[in-house]
Amino acid sequence: MLLRYVTKRLLIGLVQLVVLTVAVFFLIRLLPADPISRFVGLNPSEEAYAQAERSLGLDRPVHVQLLHYLGLAPSQGTGLLQGDLGDSWVSGSPIAQEIGTFLPVTLELITISFFVAFLIAVPVGMLSATRPGGAADRGVFVYSLFAGSQPEFWWGLLFVYLFFFVLGVAPAPLGLLSPMTSEPAVITGFITIDSLLAGRLDVFLEALHHLMLPVATLVFILSGPIIKMVRQNMVRALQSDFVLYARCAGLPARRIAFYALRAAMAPSMTLIGILYGFMLGGAVLVESVFSLGGLGQYAIRSILAFDYPAIQGVVLVITAISLSVYLLLDILHAMIDPRVAY
Amino acid sequence: MTAPEVVSGEVVSTPAATVAPAPPVLTASGLKVAYPTPRGTVVAIDGLDLTIRQREVVGLVGDAGSGKSTTALALMGVVRPPGRILAGSIQFDGRDLLRCREEELRRIRGRDIGIIVQNPRGSLNPMLRIGKQIGNVYRAHNHASPLEARERAVDMLRMVGINDPDRRVKAFAHELSGGMAQRALIAMALSSEPRLLIADEPTSGLDVTIQAQFLDQMWETVQRTHSAILLISQDLGIIANYCDRVLVLHDRRIVEDAPARDFFARPAHPYSQSILGLQRASAGEQAQARRASSAATETLVEVDRLTKHFPIRGTDKVVQAVDTVSFAIGRGETVGLVGESGSGKTTIGRCLLRLEEPTSGEIRYRGQPISGIAQHHLRRFRSKLQIVFQDPYDSLNPRWTIGRILREPLDLHTTLTGRAKRDRARELLDMVGLDPNALDIRPRGLGAGAMQRLNIARALATDPEFIVLDEPTSVLAPSAVVGLIALLQKLQSDLQLSYLFISHDLTTVQYLCHRVAVMYLGQMVELGTVDQVFGSPRHPYAKALLASHLFPDPTRRRVDRHERETLTGEIPSPVDLPRGCYLYGRCPHATETCADAPQALDRQPDGRLVRCWRATAGEIGDSA
Repeated sequence: MLLRYVTKRLLIGLVQLVVLTVAVFFLIRLLPADPISRFVGLNPSEEAYAQAERSLGLDRPVHVQLLHYLGLAPSQGTGLLQGDLGDSWVSGSPIAQEIGTFLPVTLELITISFFVAFLIAVPVGMLSATRPGGAADRGVFVYSLFAGSQPEFWWGLLFVYLFFFVLGVAPAPLGLLSPMTSEPAVITGFITIDSLLAGRLDVFLEALHHLMLPVATLVFILSGPIIKMVRQNMVRALQSDFVLYARCAGLPARRIAFYALRAAMAPSMTLIGILYGFMLGGAVLVESVFSLGGLGQYAIRSILAFDYPAIQGVVLVITAISLSVYLLLDILHAMIDPRVAY
Repeated sequence: MTAPEVVSGEVVSTPAATVAPAPPVLTASGLKVAYPTPRGTVVAIDGLDLTIRQREVVGLVGDAGSGKSTTALALMGVVRPPGRILAGSIQFDGRDLLRCREEELRRIRGRDIGIIVQNPRGSLNPMLRIGKQIGNVYRAHNHASPLEARERAVDMLRMVGINDPDRRVKAFAHELSGGMAQRALIAMALSSEPRLLIADEPTSGLDVTIQAQFLDQMWETVQRTHSAILLISQDLGIIANYCDRVLVLHDRRIVEDAPARDFFARPAHPYSQSILGLQRASAGEQAQARRASSAATETLVEVDRLTKHFPIRGTDKVVQAVDTVSFAIGRGETVGLVGESGSGKTTIGRCLLRLEEPTSGEIRYRGQPISGIAQHHLRRFRSKLQIVFQDPYDSLNPRWTIGRILREPLDLHTTLTGRAKRDRARELLDMVGLDPNALDIRPRGLGAGAMQRLNIARALATDPEFIVLDEPTSVLAPSAVVGLIALLQKLQSDLQLSYLFISHDLTTVQYLCHRVAVMYLGQMVELGTVDQVFGSPRHPYAKALLASHLFPDPTRRRVDRHERETLTGEIPSPVDLPRGCYLYGRCPHATETCADAPQALDRQPDGRLVRCWRATAGEIGDSA
């Protein structure tokens, strides 16, 4: 049953990916922008303009460009089907390689943040659900109102001011490693993992130290909605007939809490997935504050430069990751709640 | 068996006088439970006293919302949040449950007191396999390894009559039918062999033949484990058939406490008298006279070989909802349609009003085929044929005032002036026994009984000749049922109305109908007068249906009968019907012939129609 569900979801995900790829391809070309003039500068000669147009491949008809991009026109060179995202118009290097350096930073940041936020939000949400209107519940309410009403970069700056400038417990917001540290060999692209693989515990701890404030900022922002969601689902679960019956059957309080938590977690999964997908690009402000070169920064740079292949590549990668995360969480959801797989 | 005075059968005197009563298992006194709401505290029960003795089956009756379920939970010291137990004591096993520590109370719940509740599927954890859940409850009260608990779960499921328990322990709640979920719940409740079982409407939502099986099983199981039962039900049939003693909950407290036979013979409290009104009336002379005068003179509606198939999307299969059904309804006559859910009763009613188009066959109203009525004449025809639905709340717009609800059919079907319409609406309210000055209020606050009266008033607005009553009493409290049936009867004699009365409640059918048709899987299996079908059913299915029905009469208890006419197995799917007789495979009288020979409705010497060759040949005796 679960296998059929996963297969079905994978097929749907594939279709979504193809449709989105093609849609983005055309949508970029609908922008009232002229990428060629970005490259040839002001007042170019007609020849130079045509030359640039040819070199970018924009002189060809749109459908030929699309086929090339998708990798369906072998005479034009490799494309998506061959695993080639194309070369950046700005740097000339392969986009896959560029994303490969920016993406791990973002993934590292938001995955750790989600993990920590989850660890904090679930018990707090449970606590406020068990006594609605109690002190914990009111505290949570004030906090989520407070945290959610300020933009995240502002919280980031405030944290930098407080923990770096005033208290001095955090490092300067200048990337993942201080300039003096030699980086470990790139294996996965994730500094925390690479440093451990290289046996460099010092680098690992330094990276964690540098991640502390950006993670704290994101956790501060993310916990609000997750707590609210867990609390709401938990309140509903605690009022459900099966929890009432579990009490009547004399189950121990711990087991009843587990019954309710499991019922509350299932719908919360969906929110986590949506938040994660959003954060892939949405963490850019926090990344900027802490000078972390993440995917969001790369996306914005590419958009400002009208770097079509890079924009397409970023969208494709974010979509693929979001879809995988949704799928993963849906599988988890189906494992928690057997009704979903139907 | 419990109290000995019931075994002796003949004379029932007050039990205290003859036999020393068994010691009490549980005694509640002065119980008060309240729920805080935004508009102030609602007291659900107040000053409730009751005693349940060892190995006794005690019935608790009362209207919907009278606090029966609150009582059931409160007896275990549980209240649905955010309610609170404000006062009282519950003596159980030498302790006051409301004053002992939470951990001590937890040990008693589920081990010494078991409970089954109304919503079995919702009460099972949707995310755990039922075997695991039963095991968890067992392990909460007994030292057992997970494996032993699992074995216990299989044993319990087998004991409550679930087929193939080794496979069913792996099922999730949503994979079980309502009946099976209820059995799983009782398996859980009885897994630690409690001394008291509280059963709160344990059969709501089950079909009658399954209901009887289930209650038999519960009764037998509890007899075997020597438990006492508090059986909570609105259904007086259940109370009469299974209980030794009856408690009546009314106005937030127990108003009557009497042995079952005394309660049904001589109810003391006015409320008890009102809920027993129907049973007393149906036994009375008036009902006898009424049935005798059933010879209808003029045929109003004729159903001729009506067939309705519903195609199943994505396949070429069909659900055969109604299969060549023919009958006629005379002016001023009531024909009852009885049968279990899925037998096609409701579809027939809907075809009669052209809410569904028949697949084949014809329906004639005053001799004219209604399928021939053109769309623009349909409105005139509809004003003469009306319907009252099962759920009175769903069929009324809660945002409209009563006046507007009643004006709508008048706007559509008449040319009265606004003032005349208001007068007519007042008149209608008066006819159904509601306050004629209530035109400007919204029906939201009305009880189910009053809502159903309003539905009837709306149906009457256009002076109909014929009304389809589709389970009009099934969601009503016992006292409201009595009033509604009396109202329908009065309207019939005042206005010469004809009814098609669709119901699974045979007690109301017996009282209201002149003739009755028994349906099984879309076919009519027996059609005759009420006296014929209820007095001596001929078709094996009709026999089983009547035997399953729990008549509110403690002198004819089902549990005292030795031979019970029962069917085995489940109802076949209406998609893949058996080749021969539809009842083949479940019927105790089936022979080789029945497997292949489709059965025809044959007229019997006494005028009734029966679809069974063995019954026609006189090979199946009268057993009922």
